[in-house]
Amino acid sequence: MNRATGISHVTLIEYLSLERIVKRLSVLTVPADALTWHRFFGALLLSLLVLLFLSGAFMAFYYSPALGSAYDSVDYALFSLPFGGIIKGVHHYGWNLFLIVLGAHLVRAFVVSAYKPPRQMIWVSGVMILLFVPLFIITGDLLTWDQKGFWSTQVRLSIIGSIPFIGDLLVRLFQGGPLTGIVALTRFYVLHILFLPGLLAFLILIHFHFIKNNGLSYSFSSDNYSTKTVRFFPVIFNRWLILFMGITLVLGLISWYWPAPLGDPADPTDSSYVPRPEWWVLFLNQLVTIFTGSFSVVGSVIIPGGLAGLLIVLPFIDSSPERHPVRRKRVMLCAAIIAIAILALSIMGYLEHFSTPHV
Amino acid sequence: MKTTVLGSGAVLLLGIPLISYFVAPSLKKATGKWVDFGAIDDLTPGSIEMLTYEFLVKDGWLVLPQRGFVWAKTNQDRAIKVFSSTCTHLACNVIWQEEANHFICPCHSGRFDSHGNPVAGPPTKPLSTLESKIEEENLLVYLTF
Ligand code: HEM
Ligand code: FES
Repeated sequence: MNRATGISHVTLIEYLSLERIVKRLSVLTVPADALTWHRFFGALLLSLLVLLFLSGAFMAFYYSPALGSAYDSVDYALFSLPFGGIIKGVHHYGWNLFLIVLGAHLVRAFVVSAYKPPRQMIWVSGVMILLFVPLFIITGDLLTWDQKGFWSTQVRLSIIGSIPFIGDLLVRLFQGGPLTGIVALTRFYVLHILFLPGLLAFLILIHFHFIKNNGLSYSFSSDNYSTKTVRFFPVIFNRWLILFMGITLVLGLISWYWPAPLGDPADPTDSSYVPRPEWWVLFLNQLVTIFTGSFSVVGSVIIPGGLAGLLIVLPFIDSSPERHPVRRKRVMLCAAIIAIAILALSIMGYLEHFSTPHV
Repeated sequence: MKTTVLGSGAVLLLGIPLISYFVAPSLKKATGKWVDFGAIDDLTPGSIEMLTYEFLVKDGWLVLPQRGFVWAKTNQDRAIKVFSSTCTHLACNVIWQEEANHFICPCHSGRFDSHGNPVAGPPTKPLSTLESKIEEENLLVYLTF
């Protein structure tokens, strides 16, 4: 009861017409298995997303998407504002960690067979999110308008441009013309802070919709999982809050010790700048290097597209009820081969781009 | 049924203007023009030299200088051939290295010989040659952008 207004908690909830939601939340329970550590990747992703949205939206207060101004605006925000380095650092390290945790979330779902009926669509919607995130990185990287961002964009666009038939058109649509100039920068900016976040929120909503309707997968360990439950609110929710504070602190500290990188301003004529591929594309980049000439489609379209397709249709080609990884030797073996291939390509790419000096 | 028709109508009503609005600048055809690279007397016969250019290009609502370079190969008989600096693999800029007698691409170590033919690394197509002509003792090259 608030003495000044005479409005109690209960009536406030009524005024806002929230009774049904509050009641539903307060009785919502989930299997106690939801407390195992590897179930928290999803919550960690949500936490990171909140941080990415907040740091991004606040950087947008100062960011000015125009040639001759973009770089200086980033520089200003980074060095002249309190917590400038930390806000940019949280965004920078945040998306790196976001990708890693997304990978872990997917691997976990794979190992415990969380994609099997009736949860196929939870998996499919998750893969959609995974395939969607690189668009954020491609568009975000150009915004700082430094050498690395500019030249990495050139490489990415020329890889997209090498796709037969539609490549050239895709690049033009993306850039709004043949040049990486003011039209392109404006497009990348609006995509990055308006369209892509909106679409991502929509994809996540779909993911949650399927989770809500199909439930979490059961643990293997106990047969009486259904008897042990915990309340979502406050038990699980409080853990999420702890996780959120923890990850905020960790990212904040990392950004404080290792400020987010900002290179020299972009110089479109400086061909001596050789962009190094980022860790998450090393294997794709290596594929592009291996397959050349008339085979280049294999590396730039067929293998990456095939992998993405395989991820999407996985729940439909492997729908056997067996869930324990030890009893799914064939599937686990295939996945291991693919994982090793990706790792090996990444290592090759790393050696090529980071340990040999360029001529 | 009615809803389907009305819905499609709404989608078209919004889609046509919005998509045209978004796509329009992407459909602009690439244009080209003759760029003056100065007196041919400045070129050394029997060498390959970097010629830099800078001209104004309209990019959306801005007119900005576009900078870059091409490679001019001048034979002993003063015949001139101009190569684009764009690597035929993934569009990095190639650099002529006199000692190696090759164009070298820094991105994936592609190499081209002095005729522009690929000799090592990922590139499989020769460097493109640019149309050039001599007018009043000046070298003009046709650049597209
Ligand atoms: C999955 C989500 C996101 C990813 C992966 C991502 C990725 C990136 C990347 C790679 C950069 C380049 C700068 C750097 O790496 O240091 C960047 C910059 C930027 N992002 Fe994001 N971003 C995400 C979400 C958002 C959101 C939701 C907003 C705003 C609503 C936003 C606003 C910005 C702004 C304004 C910049 C440029 C400022 C600067 O670089 O200092 N981002 N982002
Ligand atoms: S871009 Fe020249 S070798 Fe790849």
